[in-house]
Amino acid sequence: MEESHYLNCKSRAQNYNPPVDLRLLDYVSIYDNNLMCAICRCPFVDPVVLSECDHVFCRDCIRQSWNSNTSYTPLGPRGDCPTCRTPAKLGPRSATSKILVNLVDELVVHCPKRDDGCKAEVRRCEVQDHVNIYCGYTVIECTDDDCTLPVRRKDAAQGCLHFGVSCLSCHKELQKWKLEAHWRSECADRRVHCDMCKSSVFYRDLEAHRKEACPAMSVSCPGKALGCTSRSKRGHAELHAKSCTFAKLAPVLLKQQERLDEQEAAQKEMSRKLEVLEGGFQNMQGILYPPGVETSQRSADNSLTPSLQERLFGSGTAESTTPTGTAAGYDWTESAVDEDAVSPAETMHTAFSSATSPRQRAAPLPPGPRPADLPEPFSSDFDIASPTGFPPPATNGGPYASPLHHLLSMHESLRDEMTRVSSALSELDGRHSMQILNENLRTREEISYLAAQTAGLQRQVHWLTSSALQRQQGRSPTPGASSSGAGGAMMDAGAGAGVEAAVGAVSTAATALRGAARMVNVGGNGSGSGTGTGMRRGTSEEGRTKL
Amino acid sequence: MTAPLPKRIIKETERLQTEPVPGISAQPHDDNARYFDVMVQGPDGSCYEGGVFSLELFLPDDYPMTPPRIRFLTRIYHPNIDRLGRICLDVLKNNWSPALQIRTILLSIQALLGAPNPEDPLNEAVAKQWKENQGEAIKTAREWTKLYAQPKQ
Ligand SMILES: [Zn+2]
Ligand SMILES: [Zn+2]
Ligand SMILES: [Zn+2]
Ligand SMILES: [Zn+2]
Ligand SMILES: [Zn+2]
Ligand SMILES: [Zn+2]
Ligand SMILES: [Zn+2]
Repeated sequence: MEESHYLNCKSRAQNYNPPVDLRLLDYVSIYDNNLMCAICRCPFVDPVVLSECDHVFCRDCIRQSWNSNTSYTPLGPRGDCPTCRTPAKLGPRSATSKILVNLVDELVVHCPKRDDGCKAEVRRCEVQDHVNIYCGYTVIECTDDDCTLPVRRKDAAQGCLHFGVSCLSCHKELQKWKLEAHWRSECADRRVHCDMCKSSVFYRDLEAHRKEACPAMSVSCPGKALGCTSRSKRGHAELHAKSCTFAKLAPVLLKQQERLDEQEAAQKEMSRKLEVLEGGFQNMQGILYPPGVETSQRSADNSLTPSLQERLFGSGTAESTTPTGTAAGYDWTESAVDEDAVSPAETMHTAFSSATSPRQRAAPLPPGPRPADLPEPFSSDFDIASPTGFPPPATNGGPYASPLHHLLSMHESLRDEMTRVSSALSELDGRHSMQILNENLRTREEISYLAAQTAGLQRQVHWLTSSALQRQQGRSPTPGASSSGAGGAMMDAGAGAGVEAAVGAVSTAATALRGAARMVNVGGNGSGSGTGTGMRRGTSEEGRTKL
Repeated sequence: MTAPLPKRIIKETERLQTEPVPGISAQPHDDNARYFDVMVQGPDGSCYEGGVFSLELFLPDDYPMTPPRIRFLTRIYHPNIDRLGRICLDVLKNNWSPALQIRTILLSIQALLGAPNPEDPLNEAVAKQWKENQGEAIKTAREWTKLYAQPKQ
């Protein structure tokens, strides 16, 4: 019966309908796992028993399995049982239990044209018949006599449907008989149900719906990048986002990250610019101060300057390269450009390219008076800033953003100069007062020496006076108290005259000494008190200069 | 038009999702149902305990007549697994049987982690170490597991 069934199918087979592959069927019946082939995992199709171990497989499955790893053998297909590895060979169909065959044949399956719309459920052994004879979704030849094109069986009665139409929804051109299938499974504008949320959407929007709108789709927290691992359905995700710290922080941090990246890019740009400008400046310096190159040779460098000029102006921030000291040569040209002053182009040219021009050559020299026609307001500043006596400050100076910055830096360097000058001055001052102090010390020593001499002299005078008095007293044998007093007075007068002469001499010496002290004073007028003492002493103890 | 995916592969995939094997997961790619991302946990009590090893698994066109192709993606110190992650396992080669499935193969691999076999080596250097100084080899395997096979947060 099975054989005839098979032949029947064969004779009716049409080009349009390949034989049904029983292993691709969807089963309606729930079947026992014991009816399942271990190789194809489907209910047995044409089961065969291995007589050596009684394991059952589909005939095709076991054949394929053995063919793939053993070569052809004359005794018929043989190999190891896939389940128990017992060497076995294929038995005849008659060896298979009829019960087993019936069990698998009776299983109910869906029509293989189910996806096209057929709702039929048939027994597995009848599915080929259903497709070949009954199924409305099977493709057959057009009933129109002149037409041999395919048409679905259920549409065949409507006559020939092989004419072009266009889909009302998507306007695709197709044949009428294919329209239903198109609407069912092709048309981009057909309605489909989202299998997550069951809502009806256009097929073309399904992808976007799943990605963006489907409330049943699980999405990750907006703070995922920050470490929140929460995933929830879109509907609940909003609730979560309200409570999640990560989600709250995410926009702020993302913005910050963005700004950070921006800044980084800007900085990179700036440093690149700076590099170019520094290179340009070094070239400039090389041209302005070629090491040990004569003026006559410098003119040879003229060929270099146009490119430099181009680079400086091409960058649009030429003034930013201007380093303070050496910039004197072309700084003012910038201001000239800014103020649109007298022939800026010409001055520029002078400054940048004519290395042999007198002004250019003068630049490294101590600055003479600038030509009066130069328009810049701060030319005098440069005169101070660029003398040869001081090294040009900040030759590696960074780029200046504007002329104002340039002025400020100029001011800064001037202030530095001032500090240096004032410190030099105070050092000089200190040295000077030290010298005077030393001089004073020497004079003071001399004066104290003189004072000691005077004291000695005084003692001598005193001794002489007293001895003279004793001699006088010795001459008068009966000296009264009063007469002795008178005589003493007389004697005093005599000695006093001598002493007075000595005192006069001493006072003239004191005048000389005071003159000397005044001279010292002029030198060390700061040390007022010391000089005062010297003078006082000078008046009291001078005569020894004379002596 | 490509041949429809055999029912067997669909069923195996479904069953791997609905009845997963403990310590093993296999997820097919969205764009290729024959290509799986596999995770295998190191068996408890082995020197791979605590590690989560990722593998790739591909089912050739003639599967199940030919075995699936499997490779470790995580580095592992094992005498039967070489530096490229290839596995020396008889059921993946001559002893393949169409009655075997993805889940049984993955279980075999998990068992191989629990019982390294230095007598049938794929990685000679590791096998030598394993035979000469097993303690040191096991220590290295533990270190590698810590280093390379840590589960991602
Ligand atoms: Zn089978
Ligand atoms: Zn068997
Ligand atoms: Zn049907
Ligand atoms: Zn027709
Ligand atoms: Zn359409
Ligand atoms: Zn949805
Ligand atoms: Zn969150």
